[in-house]
Amino acid sequence: MTAEEEREKLLADLGREARVVAGREIYFDWEGFFWDPNDWNEEVARILAKESGLEDLTEVHWKVLRFFREYYFYHGRAPMNRHLKEGARLSLGEIESLFPGGIRRGARRLAGLPNPKSCF
Amino acid sequence: MAMTDRLIYLDNAATTFPKPREVLDRMLQGYIEMGVSPGRGSYDLALEAEDFVQRARKQLALFFGAPDADRIIFAANATDALNIALNGLLQPGDHVISTRLEHNSVLRPLYHFRERGWISYDLVHFDDKGFVDPDEIGRLVKQNTRLVLVSHASNVLGTVQPVKEIGRVCAERGIPFIIDASQSAGKIPIDMTAWNISAVAFTGHKALFGPTGIGGLAVCPDLDIKPSRFGGTGVDSRSPIHTEAFPQRLEAGTINLIGIMGLSAGIDYIMQKGMASIHGEEMALLKRLRDGLSSLGHVEMYCAGDLSSHVAVLTANVGDVNPDDAGAIMDGDFNIAVRVGLHCAPLVHEDLGTINRGAIRFSPGIFNTPEDIDHAIRAMASMS
Repeated sequence: MTAEEEREKLLADLGREARVVAGREIYFDWEGFFWDPNDWNEEVARILAKESGLEDLTEVHWKVLRFFREYYFYHGRAPMNRHLKEGARLSLGEIESLFPGGIRRGARRLAGLPNPKSCF
Repeated sequence: MAMTDRLIYLDNAATTFPKPREVLDRMLQGYIEMGVSPGRGSYDLALEAEDFVQRARKQLALFFGAPDADRIIFAANATDALNIALNGLLQPGDHVISTRLEHNSVLRPLYHFRERGWISYDLVHFDDKGFVDPDEIGRLVKQNTRLVLVSHASNVLGTVQPVKEIGRVCAERGIPFIIDASQSAGKIPIDMTAWNISAVAFTGHKALFGPTGIGGLAVCPDLDIKPSRFGGTGVDSRSPIHTEAFPQRLEAGTINLIGIMGLSAGIDYIMQKGMASIHGEEMALLKRLRDGLSSLGHVEMYCAGDLSSHVAVLTANVGDVNPDDAGAIMDGDFNIAVRVGLHCAPLVHEDLGTINRGAIRFSPGIFNTPEDIDHAIRAMASMS
């Protein structure tokens, strides 16, 4: 097995899978989170939102998704709870209700941020 | 819903916070006055430091009903203590009995040994109230069973296991019995001698009110734990062989003096306040939480029907809300800290049916108030 093949196997073992979305091949992890946040664009987000049961992304949805991305690329990590609340100008309860799957598996995933490290 | 000005900390099962002020003061003052290497130098201050450490060992021996203060071994935490015990006890071909309530501090070392083909083990199931049956442990004993290892109190369910009865079952069969007292030490009395417990693994930073980085293993004289780490002990330096004498046998390297100072001060704090009083206060808060959450139609609690053999830990889920999000809402909207996820105890969640989702764990402490609990109930009520 070549080094590249070994790397691909390792990534597959970690649950990385490629899908074509909006004409682009994009890698996702085992929970549907982007492997690389740079693969995200608004069209991809719309398609993934529809798949999750969200027919239209309203301006409020976009406000949350854009905040997630701006914060992530500026700070190099996802916003803490209080920063998300302040930045999106919504309560976390409201954000949870806005997205199918809630904050983490809904909003954060649609914003293209990587899967957070948590106790799973 | 109004956000409180101060954080309502309900994650005391992870670590108690805040620590009692007197514990922190004594740590700082002790280290300012005596922060030298105990048991190494021959100058007076080093001897005083060693004397302090020996007094702390005696204090812990008394606290756990351990017969020999020299066999109070300091470690970094309970996980470290358990690793010292398992590495020093188990031999190829041994069989171990433990439970599905265990934390990864037990599950992962056992899995590691089994994957290398060194040991086999059985894990006893818990019943629908969250307790293991001591007789089931007895039924699983084999000729090569070397050890029974049980978590005294579940870090997910809060259920206190019948360790006295398990100790009797083990003693009748001549099998060493170790408990993981991470969630119980400081909350409920432990009597190693009376309960036939061979060793207690404990951590200092939870209900013993010490800092992180200190814990230990209280060992009975009849349990022969071999050293698995070797190095400086301050004893018999010319010998290339690590000393057989306790406690240095299982303590390689300079011990955590400031941690021991905090641990000792934490135990003094418990003795002054009264363990029963602390436990009673915490359980009153837990019962208030349980009763409040029971009145909400969309909250599912796990093994919380009868709290008579519990420590102050309650785990729940709310409607279809992902526990991660519930934790974020509690934190960001209500200023409440809880622990979500699998709590490093995946088999408990497998058996509860929450392995793919996790759950929300509440663990009030003595610095919480009934109003804190009411606020947490309102936070849970807001989610549907």
